[in-house]
Amino acid sequence: MTLLTVAGRLRSAFERSLEVIVFALMIALAVIVTVAVIYRKAGDSLVWYDEVAEIVLAWITYYGSALAALRGAHIGVSALVDALPRRLRVATVLVAESFVIAFFVLLGWAGWAVLEVLGTDYLVSLPEVSTSFTQSVIVIGACLYIIAELLRLPEALRAAASPASPGGP
Amino acid sequence: MAMLLLFLGMLALVLINVPIAVALGIAAIVAMLTAGGLDSLPNLAIVMFTGATKFPLIAIPLFILAGAIMNTGGISRRLIAFASALLGFIRGGLAMVNVATSMFFAEISGSAVADVAALGSILMPAMKQKGYPGPFTAAITSSSASLAIIIPPSIPMILYAVMADASVVQLFVAGIIPGVIGGLLLMALCYWYAVRYDYPVEEVFQLRRVWQTFKEASLAFLLPVIILGGIFGGIVTASEGAGLAVVAAIGIAAWYREINWNQLWTAVIDGGVQTAVVMLLVASSALLGVYLTEAQVPQRLAQAIIDFTNSPWLVLLLLNIFLLAVGLFLHSAAAIILVVPIVMPVVNQVGIDPVHFGLVVTLNLAIGQQTPPVASVLMTACSIAKENVWDVTKANLPFIAVLVAVLILVTYVPAVPLFLVKLFYG
Repeated sequence: MTLLTVAGRLRSAFERSLEVIVFALMIALAVIVTVAVIYRKAGDSLVWYDEVAEIVLAWITYYGSALAALRGAHIGVSALVDALPRRLRVATVLVAESFVIAFFVLLGWAGWAVLEVLGTDYLVSLPEVSTSFTQSVIVIGACLYIIAELLRLPEALRAAASPASPGGP
Repeated sequence: MAMLLLFLGMLALVLINVPIAVALGIAAIVAMLTAGGLDSLPNLAIVMFTGATKFPLIAIPLFILAGAIMNTGGISRRLIAFASALLGFIRGGLAMVNVATSMFFAEISGSAVADVAALGSILMPAMKQKGYPGPFTAAITSSSASLAIIIPPSIPMILYAVMADASVVQLFVAGIIPGVIGGLLLMALCYWYAVRYDYPVEEVFQLRRVWQTFKEASLAFLLPVIILGGIFGGIVTASEGAGLAVVAAIGIAAWYREINWNQLWTAVIDGGVQTAVVMLLVASSALLGVYLTEAQVPQRLAQAIIDFTNSPWLVLLLLNIFLLAVGLFLHSAAAIILVVPIVMPVVNQVGIDPVHFGLVVTLNLAIGQQTPPVASVLMTACSIAKENVWDVTKANLPFIAVLVAVLILVTYVPAVPLFLVKLFYG
């Protein structure tokens, strides 16, 4: 098995795992909102509904962002980079990737620092759930984003080096 | 000076294709470090988390999900059949069917890209087969889908409501009259083209066929009644209405027994990715927002504009020009997230109704979706129709002119968007 095959399989497995998580979170959000409406109409509101639904949205944001990074789907402006000569294009992709990775390294580090502080905090509506569990998505999301960027880097560089279709982070 | 450097740094990052969400985040980190040193850095994680937990935005993934289920459940096909039975007897009928179905689909999905993907893949090949020119076909599909974002429910409106602290329900109500006017104008233009270029009649009008196709699509008609009736009737919030839309869409698709599970899987994940892309922008803009608010940037900008003029009409003209320019280069979600918090103080100070301004913003960005280089809906239509972007853009100019006419009407006759709002909400 060549290194390229291993990398390809690793990327597929990573993408599939993120897809399963994002699918589950999307369905969970729909179920939570629907159940909450039914309960409210039955005169028995779920106290945890708003808080949990918001947390699921935040989880969709960070797991989905890693998947979006793997697919190169984040909103950006590629017009200027596309117009650059090939070598400069490759260099620009590397610089842009460095900024993106540096941002998520900082975010992950800040997230870790916060987790230690939040160790004794719990959700208002569900006191059995620790805030450090819900906020862990920042650290995990930052790590997943960095992995996604690194797995996509060869493809982005290949695209930047090709005469026709450059790509970016 | 520091503000200018920050802006230039952010612009440089965006120009080298760093995702806008990350560029905003980096600018915010620089501002945080400058103001509060290393100790302020943990705030980065807290704001990036709380910024992504805005309850009203829960409606975004849910409406995307509802639209995705509708697409895979055979509902698009039934809607097209009904519109064809109703309007197909008119010359250029299929182009009108395209506009009518887009307007109806808008009441379910809330996303113009979803409309183009769902309806365009069925209607555009059919139109081309009947002899409509490819660029015209892609242009009308694209423009009518963008008009649809002002017909409720609308994802850009939900985003605007959160950013401007406006009522999402009132925004939805405000979109109805301009949406219908725009749709009728697009249909009238299609008719003019059809007569001039002798486009075909689709089918003979038969009341029996209208009734039969109506019956087949009747469950689909129930969906907007559930969504909009629930929201406008005050029974559910916009987010809960979106949740109900998902359940109703699953029920209807299961009833029709036409769910394609593979398509559904892909659509749900794509919906999750779209949501994440928008929400990461929302979170990182919250981060930069902390700095902008501390530095009172929006207030200072508002003062500068008010020193120049305090006429609401002139301010609206300036904002329209600015938003049209922004729409050329930015995706509509990014434009709303970046621009709205900065311009809201001036909008409030000169006395423009935030709901009125919401419609102005949404229409500007609908036009932005049609104008390259960044034109998400037009690009989707071109890619499905396999047509050249510039040919389609040329054919699209008269339809864009219709959208601009609706924008002018909405901007300078506030009664057009606000009549129903005043009627229902005083």
